[in-house]
Amino acid sequence: MFLHYIDLSWRSIKRTPVISFLMVFAIAIGIGLTMTSLSVYHMMSMDPIPHKSGAIFYPQLNIMDDGSEWHSSDNLPYQLTYQDAVNLYNADIPVPKSPSFRSGFSVHLNSPDVKPTMEPARLVNREFFTIFDRPFIYGAPWSLNSQDTHEYVAVISEKINNRLFAGENSVGQHIYLDNNSYRIVGVTANWKHHVKYYDVNNGAFNSSEQLYIPFGIGALEEITTWGNLNGWKHEALKNYQDLMHSEHVWVQFWVQLNSEDEKQQFTNFLMSYMEDQREKGRFNRQTLEYKLRNVTEWLEYNNVVSEDNRILVGLSFMFLLVCVSNILGLLLAKFLKRAPEVGVRRALGASKRHIFAQHIVEVSVIGLAGGLLGIVIAQIGLWGIRVTNSYYDALATMDVSMLLAAPIIALVASFLAGLYPAWLVCRTQPAIYLKSQ
Amino acid sequence: MLDIKPIFNAIRRSKIGAVLLLLQIALTMAIVSNAAFMINDHVSYLREDTGFPEKEIFSLSVMTFGKDRSLSQQAELDETMIRSLPGVIDASLTQAIPLSGGGSSSSVRLKPSPEKSKSISVPYYYMDEHGLNTFGIKLLEGRNFRPEEIIVGNDFTGNGPNTVIVSQALADALFPDGGALGETVYLKNRPLEIIGIVGTMKSPWPNGMRDKTTAIVPFMDVQNYQHILVRTDKTERANIMANIEQNMLDVYDKRVIINVDGLDKTKENYDSTDVLMMRMLIVLVVILLLVTALGIFGLTQFNISKRTKQIGTRRALGARKSAIVRYFLVENTMVCIAGLLIGGIAAVVLGDVMMKSYSISSLEPEFILGTAVFIFVMSIVAVIFPAMRAANISPSIATRSI
Amino acid sequence: MLTMNNVSKIYQTNSVQTHALRDFSLTVNEGEFIAVTGPSGSGKTTFLNIAGLLEPFTSGQYTLDGVDIGGLSDNETADLRNQKIGYIFQGFNLIPDLNLYENVEVPLRYRGIAAKERKIRIEQCLEQVGLASRAKHLPQQLSGGQQQRVAIARALAGKPRFLLADEPTGNLDSLMARQVMELLEEINKNGATIVMVTHDAELARRAPRNIQVVDGQLADFTLYQGKPTVTATRAEEAVVASGV
Repeated sequence: MFLHYIDLSWRSIKRTPVISFLMVFAIAIGIGLTMTSLSVYHMMSMDPIPHKSGAIFYPQLNIMDDGSEWHSSDNLPYQLTYQDAVNLYNADIPVPKSPSFRSGFSVHLNSPDVKPTMEPARLVNREFFTIFDRPFIYGAPWSLNSQDTHEYVAVISEKINNRLFAGENSVGQHIYLDNNSYRIVGVTANWKHHVKYYDVNNGAFNSSEQLYIPFGIGALEEITTWGNLNGWKHEALKNYQDLMHSEHVWVQFWVQLNSEDEKQQFTNFLMSYMEDQREKGRFNRQTLEYKLRNVTEWLEYNNVVSEDNRILVGLSFMFLLVCVSNILGLLLAKFLKRAPEVGVRRALGASKRHIFAQHIVEVSVIGLAGGLLGIVIAQIGLWGIRVTNSYYDALATMDVSMLLAAPIIALVASFLAGLYPAWLVCRTQPAIYLKSQ
Repeated sequence: MLDIKPIFNAIRRSKIGAVLLLLQIALTMAIVSNAAFMINDHVSYLREDTGFPEKEIFSLSVMTFGKDRSLSQQAELDETMIRSLPGVIDASLTQAIPLSGGGSSSSVRLKPSPEKSKSISVPYYYMDEHGLNTFGIKLLEGRNFRPEEIIVGNDFTGNGPNTVIVSQALADALFPDGGALGETVYLKNRPLEIIGIVGTMKSPWPNGMRDKTTAIVPFMDVQNYQHILVRTDKTERANIMANIEQNMLDVYDKRVIINVDGLDKTKENYDSTDVLMMRMLIVLVVILLLVTALGIFGLTQFNISKRTKQIGTRRALGARKSAIVRYFLVENTMVCIAGLLIGGIAAVVLGDVMMKSYSISSLEPEFILGTAVFIFVMSIVAVIFPAMRAANISPSIATRSI
Repeated sequence: MLTMNNVSKIYQTNSVQTHALRDFSLTVNEGEFIAVTGPSGSGKTTFLNIAGLLEPFTSGQYTLDGVDIGGLSDNETADLRNQKIGYIFQGFNLIPDLNLYENVEVPLRYRGIAAKERKIRIEQCLEQVGLASRAKHLPQQLSGGQQQRVAIARALAGKPRFLLADEPTGNLDSLMARQVMELLEEINKNGATIVMVTHDAELARRAPRNIQVVDGQLADFTLYQGKPTVTATRAEEAVVASGV
């Protein structure tokens, strides 16, 4: 019967091609616009590391003396001071944790053959690779010993390895960052992410760094951050030493806590750490405050999904509603015109359910066609976004879930439009239409 | 007489059609007036004067890895070299590129901290006496920096500059009663005398902070990652940009030259998200209006086809063509006005919700009114054609069956 | 077969009550062929619609083939229509998008009959009305008489025991009308009970039993035993010939 209904729908669509096309087109336009903004929204808000986003945490400490305010929603600084980051890392709690900040170097091989290029780099500790499950193509993260002895070692990305070493195993080779030589210990796979969730400082949709060197080298080489550096009170920063001991925040920190126990242990530590620091003259405030947010909460807190995008998603769903009410009108006209035929079918023994099913199937066929055409329109829209703004290259795309969502939303929209007309037509009293004038 | 009562009764009887039309007009009204308001907001921001002759200026960034030269001495050499290039008007080192999105800001106070005083957040540029000319910005009051006022070093508070040039917006914000010139203000707790006031001079992040309270500080803290700003003859810019990397490396080659970009391009990149939002809103509004117009057209058409016989009968009974057209126009007008009223309320509510959740200013009533007038005219146009066709229905149709 | 006891039908609009049928009582026996006549607006069609379960009635009692109709749900009446009743309308009411084959198929589909069985029955019925060769044609390609024969085939396809015809010949010229009438008589001979509404007295007279509805009530009924004479038929033909 279902196939028969599809056959009937197709005949009906063919019989009124203009009105049918208008309906398909209305759904397609609505779906196209909605899916365009929804896809970008989806990419922005997608969980970047689903299997452990709940286990990776970002600590924030309220370092400010009473009376000072931060421009965040909960009055907490977005980053840590250098000293707090180091102290947190050195805490005697056996969980993977790592400070991190973004910087950059001119990268070369100290030979005239290769022209130096500028590459962004990230200063991290070895646990960073564990926390974020970074796969290695060659080698491994540097050893604890290298890290502790401040050995000049580096992990490079596949991309740099391809460019400088033609993709060969470069472990053991040396690379120059500015004028220092670093021994390569590992090559990691390129990090593809829609949201640069581990550092939303320099723009949440920035590209990832291509180099990683130990955090400790930063102090030796006086490497400054390429991200935000914020203070809350006046401090004279004459040199790098001043910066390291200042109350300015510029270091990010990640910790992996696999269980509630570990989380409890870590928060206990944070509290006792702050109390300890207060005794030493810092954290001059009534109530000590900290926050421990997991990746999902962190992205939410940082408003990674842009305001513009939320507005567009909202507006485009309202737009879809306009399309739905338009289609509702067209369906009503179309179905009611067919009332005599329905009368005949009712007389010949069709139950209300038969008639309703027949019409809902027809609505679905229109909705589905609209959804598919809507995907095409959305692709054009997304292409337009990518052309307008290269920043959206990785965001303005449809993944499988969005491709599936499009026809589903189209079906829901068409049901919304079709339920009333179908209900109305199945209530047709057969007798009225059987007697011809 | 406009026969409102019978039409009203007819609308009441064909409830669903009228309700649909009303709903569509109301929704369209709510969406379009808010979107138009946002579009206007974006357009007026994008059209604003930045103060810079963008097509004459370009910037480059220098990443020095060689350690065998003093960075500040090298900077002097670079500046001199660039200024001597034919077609270059002026050049200056800066720690921040205008309109690029990245830079520094600090609060400017009337008294040193921790004393309480007025405090204004100010994005600033560290530049020398060539800064103003490189920016292409004219002084409104006061004078430019003198060469001896430029301080090179890294101890701003201890051994920093003593002068500052501020934008008119900053002068007004600090001294609403005027007389800013010659006054002393505090930046990073260092007293600076305001020696000059310039007109519009946008900050590195003009969209993030729209107040335009900016300043130029005569301080040079040369880093291994440094920006240079160059103003050239408009026609020479492309040429100079093409050769600048080689020119710089010829002077000293243990460094990387990147991001050689015209200021217009920098602005375009910085504004691209706004442009995108604006375009998407425009697309949304245009298509929405089109869909609604088609919807009104379609429903009128449907109403007419349902009433073909009735119209023929009316014609046979002596109704003029104009009466038929008027009938449909009045019918549409009544539904439309009701829809616009509801839509107007919805627009205000929607605008209110968005203002509360997002950084959007409150919807101005002109936009609601303007949108209402536009939709009304559009609906008339959408109705008039099918209505005129209806008026041409032959009276003889009344006597025919089916 | 059919028993109506004091059946009434009242149409209620805002302020006006219209009695379409009042205390209508009638019994139709298995195998009868009844012609219903009466003036325009007398309630003939209302009677037929109620008899055919196309319309609910206001009060009274109606039993069809032993089933009390009064308490049935919409689905149950739909099934009864599908299985026991066939309809023939003045306007044929073929579905314009469907070809003849598919039109006849409609009630069979609703009954849930398998495709193979459907095919046999449809071909049989089209054969019976002499249109087997045109199964793939659309209704608008046929003449009025042919369309009505398709409608009859469709009514017969479900092998109904009860056939209702509302002015089956109203839109046809007399030659075609006669052919349709003969078809109905043949169907009646094969065992189906037929109730036919008509205002053609000539046609009504060919039915074994006549009833007349006036103002929503049964006026009287007469048994007409005689068969139409050959001359009368010839005369009709003559009229047709002169009209052409």
